Amino acid sequence: MSESSLPLLEARDVSKTVRGPEGTLDILADVTLAVHAGESFAIVGASGSGKTTLLGLLAGLDTPTTGSVRLDGHALEAIDEEARADLRRQLVGFVFQSFHLLPALTAEENVMLPLELEGRDDARARAREALTAVGLDTRRRHYPAQLSGGEQQRVAIARAFVHGPRVLFADEPTGNLDQRTGRHVADLLFALNRDHRTTLVLVTHDATLAARCARGVELMEGRIAAPAAIT
Amino acid sequence: MKLLRLALRTLRREWHLPELRTLAASLLLAVVALGVVATLASRVEGGLVASAAELIGGDAGVSAPQALPQPYLDEARQRDLTVTRSAGFPSVAFAGERGQLLDVDATDAAWPLRGALELAAHGVTSAGHGPAPGTMYLDHRAMVALGLAVGDHVQLGGLDLAVAAELVSQPDGGQLVAMAPRALMNLADAQRAGLLGVGSRARHRLLVAGAPAAVRDWLAWAKAQALPQGAELITPAKTQQRMRNAFDRAGSFLRLTALLSALLAGVAIALAAQRYARRKTPEIALLRALGTARTRVFGLLLATLGALALPTLLLGVLVAWGLAEGAWQLAGAAFVHVPTALPLLPALGAAAMGLAVLAGFALPPLARLAEVPPVAVFRASMARRVRRVDVLYLVPALVAVALLWNQSGSAKLAIILAVSLSVVAVLAALLALLLLWFARRIAPGAHPALRLGLAALARRRTLSTVQATALSLGLVALLLLAVVAPALLEGWRRELPPDTPNWFVLNLQDDQRTDFTDRLEKLGAQQLNMLPLAVGKLTAINGTPVDQLHFADPGAARWADRQLRLSWTGTLPPSNKVVAGHWAGATPARAEVSVDTSWRDMFGLKIGDRMRFDVGEGSLEATVASVREVDWSSFRVNFFLLLDPAHAGSLPHTWLASFYLPHGHAQALAEVSRDYGNLSLVDVDALLDRVREIVDQVGGAVRWVLGFSLLAGALVLAAALATSAAERRHEAALLRTLGARRGQLRLAAACEFALLGLIAGLTAALGAFGAGWWLARGVFRLDDFVPPLGPLLGGALLAAVVIMLLGLAGTRKVTRTSPMRLLREG
Repeated sequence: MSESSLPLLEARDVSKTVRGPEGTLDILADVTLAVHAGESFAIVGASGSGKTTLLGLLAGLDTPTTGSVRLDGHALEAIDEEARADLRRQLVGFVFQSFHLLPALTAEENVMLPLELEGRDDARARAREALTAVGLDTRRRHYPAQLSGGEQQRVAIARAFVHGPRVLFADEPTGNLDQRTGRHVADLLFALNRDHRTTLVLVTHDATLAARCARGVELMEGRIAAPAAIT
Repeated sequence: MKLLRLALRTLRREWHLPELRTLAASLLLAVVALGVVATLASRVEGGLVASAAELIGGDAGVSAPQALPQPYLDEARQRDLTVTRSAGFPSVAFAGERGQLLDVDATDAAWPLRGALELAAHGVTSAGHGPAPGTMYLDHRAMVALGLAVGDHVQLGGLDLAVAAELVSQPDGGQLVAMAPRALMNLADAQRAGLLGVGSRARHRLLVAGAPAAVRDWLAWAKAQALPQGAELITPAKTQQRMRNAFDRAGSFLRLTALLSALLAGVAIALAAQRYARRKTPEIALLRALGTARTRVFGLLLATLGALALPTLLLGVLVAWGLAEGAWQLAGAAFVHVPTALPLLPALGAAAMGLAVLAGFALPPLARLAEVPPVAVFRASMARRVRRVDVLYLVPALVAVALLWNQSGSAKLAIILAVSLSVVAVLAALLALLLLWFARRIAPGAHPALRLGLAALARRRTLSTVQATALSLGLVALLLLAVVAPALLEGWRRELPPDTPNWFVLNLQDDQRTDFTDRLEKLGAQQLNMLPLAVGKLTAINGTPVDQLHFADPGAARWADRQLRLSWTGTLPPSNKVVAGHWAGATPARAEVSVDTSWRDMFGLKIGDRMRFDVGEGSLEATVASVREVDWSSFRVNFFLLLDPAHAGSLPHTWLASFYLPHGHAQALAEVSRDYGNLSLVDVDALLDRVREIVDQVGGAVRWVLGFSLLAGALVLAAALATSAAERRHEAALLRTLGARRGQLRLAAACEFALLGLIAGLTAALGAFGAGWWLARGVFRLDDFVPPLGPLLGGALLAAVVIMLLGLAGTRKVTRTSPMRLLREG
């Protein structure tokens, strides 16, 4: 099967319902979408529209109440959490709005983490390469608290692609950054998408950032309102 | 008032936080442990005083070689104290052809004021008071020796007295060795017969009894007087030295256990407060940003802590009272005749100490919390460390030392524990840091799980060090209690094995030795030991007659004026330790003497000094060759002065025998003793049983308190693990997101906790070994005691496994953390 004919990531009729103090709450309903390998894809919407929940389902961090999510041909709802963890380790990289670096680890050690989980011996060397790629080779021994917000996010990006994932999920990656730094970080993400053909799935409410993606969807109260305004 | 309301609201909102519950539980435990032990100790002390009073026959008194002057009586009566006078002296009584030397006590009708005088007549035993004029009471030995029965007449000091009853037992001041059979007669009779006149060897006693405060007041008055020459105060503290030693040791054991529980609770409080402070940091930053002054923030924190502490303290006091009362009901057999009211103050004191522990251990993190700057609301890392608060971290150490000092009642115990615990804390911290440094180096080549575990430890360097130190302190306390204390108790018990000599025989003559020994052996006597006993006087030191010497210690002057018991042996007796000079052995070139430390101190003796003794017609000058430390609580025959057998052997002497006779043979022994009218038999079984009972009860009480300590240890463990729970959860979520398998996280956590447990366990085992060694010698006078290293190491390994398992159990939730958590956190 060719890469273009089968999507790398696919959601079909996905719904997510949670039980709250005031009864059940539908967070997502009937979401269907497909992302192909090497694409950049934006998920946009207002706060509370279900963007982050959708990202979690697509990345295999959670399972849908109904419907199906397939990542590289694997139906995520059909496999257990351990198998999903294996898939994440092999195929997925993450960038978070709040960076989520471990404060007691240096930049280099933070980047080494996914490689250490795989038990790779070349973790340090590859972490250095990744840090060099994001322009932080001189800051590798710094701790997160000693880095600016932009630098921390670049370390997070290095950690996200150091093990060569096929999909990079980014949740509001520029949300905590000023405009200029945010732009640099976004440039970096799109460069990775372009140079390594890493599929980029981006959650944002920043229209400019979303506009840089090849495709996308807009969520409204848990449903796809319309394909995002993508050029 | 508003602040208090706000504090109460805060507390209600935050009560679900595990760290606040840990804090309250730790405080409760500290108060209960300290309170129960202090209450019991106070009650035992009360019982001991009352029991000593029973033995003395009054609450306090004065004894003197002559009758006490009238003001002593008047002062006592002015204080509404009841008074009795008596006099003790040796005298020979006659019945027909038979004569017997008796220890006679002449008393008035009021005697005894405390305790019971037990009398038997015509098969009926009853309590009584001093004999009426014209009558006397004789003990069984005297009756047998004189061939008398109740109702017969006896001649004493020229008086013809009727034997009104057999003397079964009497308050005797706790004398272990009574020289001769005993008799009681009327004081007026004795005076009439001239038995107390000038030149008599009588010892006069004035005893008082009444309200404790009045007794103390009278004693203080008596102390302020220039006591007549040779007079001595009689106080409960001075009597029952052997029982006293047993109780003192018992008290040390119990205080040790309670103290360790309280310190464990302190560690748990410190950890919980630390965690609470970290959780509250963003909230305090917000309060500060919204304009709340630092002092108000600190006030709020203190008020919240106070609102938590007060009900907890109250509950602790109530529980301590309840448990102390329960324990007394269960184990109060030692003072079955001495009802003492539940003392209320000790538990309140424990509450005050609990408050000190809470304030001391919780204050530093809370003070730091109040220093959080408003700017931290933007970024936590902007909450700079405020150096001036650092000094507060000395407070827990000071509180711990003060507590040790206050509770141990012994500077030695306090110092040993303080030093041991500090060494353990420093050692654990250093070991942890060393391992973390090492971990960073070996991690790259290690098994992935171990690498992750090591990385996890290294990542939380400060927390790991705090955890290792807290766990080590907790474990050292537990090992001391669970392994060292029982071993110490066992060592103590071994000092009084089942065949400890329970009978003493005095006055055995040379020609009676073989025959008497044979008959004893036929009765089943064991551990027979005989020592020569000579009675003499110290006449000169270094050639100067003692009556020309001046001694600063009045005790020395009394001894110089008194008949001394001398003995000799070639081998150093058990329970004696040479602390200066050398042991003379059996055949030194010149006559040598070994003196007890109290004699060295009283007479200012040093090695090489010469002492002259007159014994019978002869005399002997001996050089001080050694100084001995004697364990007077050992239930063995001990002497202040021991001569060498080569030079002292020819002095006129009798023999003193000690032996163990199984229970149930007393009657047979009494029959044997009838054939040797000159012998005095002394039964110390009752006293031995009492001390053994105390050891057993202490063992029971230590197990009780150990229960508290185990709980406190569990709290420390829980608090130590909880300190890193938040980080652990966040980390787990991140690692899960990055694709870590649960098994990987669990294995890494197992490695991490096993390492942590090993550091803590090994440090604690070493610490407990050192502290146990030191405690045995410094406090419990068990010089041969070696803490059991095997069980200690076993305990340490077990602890490491338990820490690993509990750590794993605690991280179960963590490994199940949904990776979605990170996305939700943003």
